[in-house]
Amino acid sequence: MNSTDITSLYVHVPFCAQKCSYCAFFSEASSGELIQRYVQALGRELELVADSLRPRTIFFGGGTPSILNLRQWEFLLETMHRLKLTGAEEWTVECNPATVSLDKARLLRSYGVNRISMGVQSLDENLLDRLGRIHSREMVFKSYDILRAAGFENINVDLMFAIPGQTMAIWQSTLTEAVALGSEHLSSYEVIYEEDTPLYERLHAQEFDVDEDLACDMYEELIARSGAAGFRQYEIANFAKHRPVADPTADKEAAAEESGMTRILPSQACQHNVNYWRGGQYHGLGPSAAGYVGGVRTKNWSNTEMYCSRLEQGQRAVETTEQLEPLARAAETAAFGLRMNIGWPFQQFRRITGWDMRPEWSVEMDQLITRGWGRADADRFQLTPAGLRFADAAAEMFLR
Amino acid sequence: MDALHIRNFSIIAHIDHGKTTLSDRLLHRTGTIATRDMEAQLLDSMDLERERGITIKAHPVTMTYKALNGEIYELNLIDTPGHVDFSYEVSRSLSACEGALLIIDAAQGVEAQTVANVHLAMKQNLTIIPVINKIDLPHADVAQAKVQLEDILAIPGDTAILASAKEGIGIEEILEAIVSRVPPPKPTGAVSLQALGFDSFFDTYKGVVTHVRVFNGELKAGMHIKLLHSGKNVEVKEVGSFNPKPYIREKLEVGETGYFTANIKSPKDVKMGDTLTDARNPSAALPGFKEIHPMVFSGIYPINTADYEHLKANLGKLQLNDSAFAYQAESSVALGFGFRCGFLGLLHLEIVQERLRREYNMDIIATYPSVVYRVSMTDGMVREVDNPAFMPEVNYITKIEEPMVRAFVICPNENIGDMMALISEKRGNVDHTETLDTRRVMLTSLIPLNEILIDFHDRIKSITRGFGSMDYEHTDYRESDMVKLDMLVNGESVDAFSCIVHRDKADTRGRALAAKLKEVIPTQQYAVAIQAAIGGKIVARETVSAMRKDVTAKCYGGDISRKRKLLDKQKEGKKRMKAFGTVNIPQEAFIEVLKA
Repeated sequence: MNSTDITSLYVHVPFCAQKCSYCAFFSEASSGELIQRYVQALGRELELVADSLRPRTIFFGGGTPSILNLRQWEFLLETMHRLKLTGAEEWTVECNPATVSLDKARLLRSYGVNRISMGVQSLDENLLDRLGRIHSREMVFKSYDILRAAGFENINVDLMFAIPGQTMAIWQSTLTEAVALGSEHLSSYEVIYEEDTPLYERLHAQEFDVDEDLACDMYEELIARSGAAGFRQYEIANFAKHRPVADPTADKEAAAEESGMTRILPSQACQHNVNYWRGGQYHGLGPSAAGYVGGVRTKNWSNTEMYCSRLEQGQRAVETTEQLEPLARAAETAAFGLRMNIGWPFQQFRRITGWDMRPEWSVEMDQLITRGWGRADADRFQLTPAGLRFADAAAEMFLR
Repeated sequence: MDALHIRNFSIIAHIDHGKTTLSDRLLHRTGTIATRDMEAQLLDSMDLERERGITIKAHPVTMTYKALNGEIYELNLIDTPGHVDFSYEVSRSLSACEGALLIIDAAQGVEAQTVANVHLAMKQNLTIIPVINKIDLPHADVAQAKVQLEDILAIPGDTAILASAKEGIGIEEILEAIVSRVPPPKPTGAVSLQALGFDSFFDTYKGVVTHVRVFNGELKAGMHIKLLHSGKNVEVKEVGSFNPKPYIREKLEVGETGYFTANIKSPKDVKMGDTLTDARNPSAALPGFKEIHPMVFSGIYPINTADYEHLKANLGKLQLNDSAFAYQAESSVALGFGFRCGFLGLLHLEIVQERLRREYNMDIIATYPSVVYRVSMTDGMVREVDNPAFMPEVNYITKIEEPMVRAFVICPNENIGDMMALISEKRGNVDHTETLDTRRVMLTSLIPLNEILIDFHDRIKSITRGFGSMDYEHTDYRESDMVKLDMLVNGESVDAFSCIVHRDKADTRGRALAAKLKEVIPTQQYAVAIQAAIGGKIVARETVSAMRKDVTAKCYGGDISRKRKLLDKQKEGKKRMKAFGTVNIPQEAFIEVLKA
């Protein structure tokens, strides 16, 4: 393996059976014809980057990747196999509970997909309806069983809170049922009102109000319940089980943990996402996908037809690129890395960015420590539980 | 032209009653301007004027008219700003005339503005020629309009000319009436030149161009003249008239109207209403001169502090053509560096702000307007205070007087109750109620100027669903129980929100401001106390509770760039925030409150 090879791959599948009311991701409810064209274009894009790509983590997100039919998946997986892009240590595909079939699950598993992220969002029928989700409670439980049956041992469940109309009681019952599924991973975030979404429009039409206090209470509830169910929070919105391997040092570290201050990542943490927060490189393929290679952030065209026609002409479909100054880039890496509970080990930060955090951000670190939001040890800086609730403020301070 | 063949007149009308259309008709009918050259509404040269249907700057236009008696007359139309804010300008323009056309919309009848302007014209002893316009409209009620003329304005109804400026009806009669009814100008009998400067504008090449009406003697290039009230001597470079474009004339004689230039650099050097006379052989000043003083003050600040110099330059440019507008530098803890600006009234204030925004493309924020209070101090001094920040401490004050206005409100009968309630809410007293016709009444009331600054006009429009109208004239000062209301954020006074209000209203206003501030101050990492205080006494309190978290959103590969930009922007924004103790208040929050 070449040392400059990119080891992370994100693939965006921009199709959904129906657009959710909160979703600002680029996706469209679309015809079979365009999907077919997209699949071919994606195949070409994979070919264009294959040489510099040796993926250790792959993530198919969307949209709804599971909306692709068996033949389309087979084509993509076969293409990846041919290009020697399979065999990632962690290979995640996002699934909508309404579009999981045993055949599809088995096909994915057989090519090396080993992690599934399920967009559950809620287990309350009314709220699912309100969010514009096409699946039902029953489908969640059923597809979870299908995935397990197909051999998936690493499953993430996505949940949302502070949904308009969601009471604390509804949230508690969703949490209870969700953790009872026994998944390895849990992602959960507050509803975001993104412009250009129906939910945003309704908020602005004052159909409902945002209750900040309730949202905060729900977040605390999430942390308490997931913790009680054996999940470890490792990032603001991410929780994973930990299955310690027989590594004496890791266990010692775990034993040394103080309340809320962790120094190790749980074993089931999503490596692909960790790479983002560590400022790692990745290729992003598919319409609207973002990539980060050689210090340059790129974004593909968000228009599927444009994306396809570019690739049909044998070109990459990059719409915008952005390259930051070295210090600004390091600052960005510092800022987003602090979203993780383990914070930044100083050595690792220097290895990745070339900057030493201690002299460069000492003022900010001191301020955060004074506020009780940060903690510095000999080897690292990390946010405290209180600080993690203000990670955006901390990130803002770190940016240059 | 000999004075017997000169007529100077102006046109008085309520907004939309057809003044501009009629002016255009007169210009056209006298051949002053050909139809194809007529851009509709020629006289109103500022966009803003055209949009609002009002005239801010007065332009005299000279027309030549061959009357039915076969003789040629020079008719000078001296346009007036149609609003009482500019009542001094109106009175100066009117005093340059011997007559006035009073236009009344046949469908709408007499309106508040008409009343105020007719009062001004009558004070100047002008011959008034009533014109009932828009008689072609289906709802036209000529009889009713005549009754109103007699009842409200004491003008014989049968002297009215029936017209439709739009259809060209009655134009001939109007021109003939100007010739036959308006008296020709008469020399004053003074020993030398007497001319009235009634307006001015600034020309980059010629300097100040002053509009003049010659009352006695003659004005021509090369003359050395004295501006009696400004005390300046200048040499006249050029004289001319407008048709409506300026053209050079050899001289202006008794009764004639036009302009002169004299390399005058600053409009402030020519006082509005000044008398020009021969420097070597001076005559006495014409009657009626007044120094004009701004009545309403407001701070104007650039939204972007970097625009300060730019704003300063633009205020200077504005003042070149608006000598009634005054400004001086000031600074505010909340808003940074800006200018204290003085205006003749509400409309003037609005117009200046709009022009800065539109013509000069400035992003500005204006503070709560204030009137000029007369504060009697314990040491016997009387101070004029136009800025709450300079209101002396209570224990040095023996009394505060505030400016009053006489307001004319015309409204439909069914709204009398609501209108009386509004006037009383505004601390006004209705001292006169007059029935205008079967549908409408006119309420004349004495109201503190400070009460009509903000929403009086809008409230009238909303109560009467647009049918009401209001105008006012300044009267005198009256003692009043005024207090300074301070807004405190975590104990620190925020100067931009301080205001002077009547004691009875301080609590309500304090509560309203506190509530509004609570809405716009973003939650902080600490709790924020917002208080309204009179002297040391807290009259209202709100608390913005501390934020419990600021982070919720997921942040993966595709989100990083966008999220960083968002945070960068926030960080940049904080540099523009004002810190009050530990509280950061974004400038937008001030703007929100000031807009409310």
